[in-house]
Amino acid sequence: MSWREYQARQKVAELGDRFVSYVDEGQGEAVVLIHGIPTWGYLWADLVPVLAEAHRVLVPDLIGFGYSDRSDRFGRSIARQAELLDAWLEHLGVERAAIVGHDIGGGVALRLATLFPRRVERLCVMNSVCYDSWPIELMLQFGHPGANRLMSASTAAKTLGAALRQGFASSPDDVVLDGLLSPYSTEVGKLSLIRDASALDTNLTTEITALLPGIEVPALILWGEEDAWQLLVYGERLARDIPGAKLVPIAKARHFVMVDQPEEVARQLARFLGP
Amino acid sequence: MFGLGRPKSVAEHEAEDDVARVYHEIRQVLRVSGVNLVFRKLAPFRSFPAIWDAMRPSAETRGFEDAADRIRADSARAAGRLGRVGARGRTRLGESQAYQVEKALDLYHYINPKLLVLTSTLRLALGGEESSRPGAESSVELIERGVPSRMYPMEMVPEEPDDARLRDLFGDIVETLNIPSVNSDYRTLALWPDYLAHVWEGLKPLATSDEHRLASDALIETSRSLARALPLGVSLSRERIEELGDDAGDVVEMIGTFERILAPLILNVSLIGLDWRQPDQLAGSPYPAASRSGPGGRRGGPA
Repeated sequence: MSWREYQARQKVAELGDRFVSYVDEGQGEAVVLIHGIPTWGYLWADLVPVLAEAHRVLVPDLIGFGYSDRSDRFGRSIARQAELLDAWLEHLGVERAAIVGHDIGGGVALRLATLFPRRVERLCVMNSVCYDSWPIELMLQFGHPGANRLMSASTAAKTLGAALRQGFASSPDDVVLDGLLSPYSTEVGKLSLIRDASALDTNLTTEITALLPGIEVPALILWGEEDAWQLLVYGERLARDIPGAKLVPIAKARHFVMVDQPEEVARQLARFLGP
Repeated sequence: MFGLGRPKSVAEHEAEDDVARVYHEIRQVLRVSGVNLVFRKLAPFRSFPAIWDAMRPSAETRGFEDAADRIRADSARAAGRLGRVGARGRTRLGESQAYQVEKALDLYHYINPKLLVLTSTLRLALGGEESSRPGAESSVELIERGVPSRMYPMEMVPEEPDDARLRDLFGDIVETLNIPSVNSDYRTLALWPDYLAHVWEGLKPLATSDEHRLASDALIETSRSLARALPLGVSLSRERIEELGDDAGDVVEMIGTFERILAPLILNVSLIGLDWRQPDQLAGSPYPAASRSGPGGRRGGPA
């Protein structure tokens, strides 16, 4: 699916002065798929139809990302993202959902599971930020205050595109890479991503470390073994700290595990989520 | 003499020093999420900060906002008599895409009338005309500063996009409307290329009609009348611009060109907006401005 086809499937919800774009497909128990940085809901495009056969699949673009609100004047931290997703689920009338998060979306998922446990039926994180694993140098550089003037949107997109390739064990085609970066190819998109990057804050995962043993829902940790950005040792630590969590290392996969090994990820998730 | 192709413009992310300061003030005072083409094209002039500093006191008054509101209302009513573009019904837009198109149209429907009044005011000032009523400055109401929280960001595709279809579309727009470069408005709508293609298909015959030209001329006349009646004058002269090292003729020509461009553009955005709103709804401001509260809420009144 091209990114434009995916974008055309997005619905919209107003949350106060902000708006969230999201995909809502299928019926059944709700599953929320949360992307990371610098991507958007399109990251999950191939997984949506698979999971939608048995579930209601909800895929938001985080605020400041993708085709959600990208104006200038609001917080973008993972703490704020978790609050907004809680409000968004309330808006949709979804009381509880399986929460699946990748990268900083995993950080959002961990905050939901620890601070908004009433919302979380099951928890799955994939190559997630956690503890002090982040921000990675690439994103620190991107969030530098001078970044907006140092590079045009087209330069930024090329730089990001080249850097993102390191996150795949496979060789994703240009359609996928261009699609992942499409929201950030304009000056407004670039600036929004810079603001997203500058909002990355390790303290927002370290502060919930002590709460991880209190997570009571089933938890699955999927991890691309070859990820150089979010190392497998962090997944192993999560598996130790979250009671009953199951760690599944995925071979021949780096950071973007759902692109590198889509069938294995879909199989693991489908089994975890149940019929 | 120069065309609007020269000197080059200054994009928001390229702005430095005094231009960056002015761009920030433009966003705050005009209550807009981005800096429009008229300013980006004026920015290379050395006198640009002085031009803005002269304009700013008037631009933050209730009188200025009211003048823009009047232009917007006149435009909406005139557009209602011109016809329909019909692009919304012909384009398959998703729910979020449609929501964002509407918000983008609101952005330009709000800011373009303010830019027309601004260019008319500057044109009068540089023509040596007094643009304020004597004695009116004793107590002038100011409006709140800052970008409305729900305003759409001024996002747009590059002026020379990679997409060949968009390049052709932009070329046709520039040639048909006889404008030096494609306006931000169309570049924003190009975020949804199918929609812009349908917009242009429906707009082109309307925008080239005699009725459209007459309605545009009427907007310019109204704008000049309103500019003459603004409560605060603009302290700017051709001599001052020459002192700052610019050719005043070049500046006047550019401002005049934008006044000429903005009137039909306002009408076109209204015409496009009629696919989304009724004329009466479109006549109102999408972002009504509250009065500035606190001791700085009036200029010339009690401190």
